[in-house]
Amino acid sequence: MAFRAAMLRHIRVPVQNLTLKRPILQSWSFGNPTRSMSSHGDDHLDREEVIERVLSVIKDFPKVDPSKVTPDVHFQKDLGLDSLDTVEIVMALEEEFKLEIPDKEADKIDSCPLAIEYIVSHPMAG
Amino acid sequence: MSGGATYLARRAAQKERVRILYRRALKDTLNWAVHRHLFYRDASDLRDKFEANKRVEDLDAIDRLIADGEANHNKFRHPDPYIVPWAPGGSKFNRNPTPPSGIEIIHDYGREDNA
Repeated sequence: MAFRAAMLRHIRVPVQNLTLKRPILQSWSFGNPTRSMSSHGDDHLDREEVIERVLSVIKDFPKVDPSKVTPDVHFQKDLGLDSLDTVEIVMALEEEFKLEIPDKEADKIDSCPLAIEYIVSHPMAG
Repeated sequence: MSGGATYLARRAAQKERVRILYRRALKDTLNWAVHRHLFYRDASDLRDKFEANKRVEDLDAIDRLIADGEANHNKFRHPDPYIVPWAPGGSKFNRNPTPPSGIEIIHDYGREDNA
């Protein structure tokens, strides 16, 4: 095993920097060659993207006034929603980021900062 | 004083039970719905069922309603719910697992000028 690891480390092939000419920050697309297609959690979303997508989900919620939505709103205090609306928003966020949040944890998410924090730190958010 | 505190604690517990019941019921509604447009109507019906008892004040009556709701939900639970692929029970669970610890993934493709 140790020998195999040493071999694998030794024989890695340097690739010339043909692929490095592209700008690092690219909007997501299927043609993006730097996007990892693996599922082992080393492809974290960056914070800006999470914030943008969380806000767009909340703005699309029918009972919400889109102009009031900022990254630090509380769903019930600032947006005038009730607790069941919060449940619906959390479910919409789960669908947007392809997550499955355990019931108890999902119940605690009641504001935008908490939602963003949870999704940013979740290894499987996609 | 302590009466007020126990009242509030009981209310908080009831609210949490309702939220979790609504969440599970909503998920099962999505599981049962074959198409998205069917889900919207079912979800709205579900919401109406919850809204109908929004103004109940009596604690015992609320407990009874929640218990009824939970029993009802248990009856209509989906036998094969949707599970996100990476989660236990999902179609991609434990596929393509993390490589063993001896192997590194070199993300800079061997480029050496960024030291």
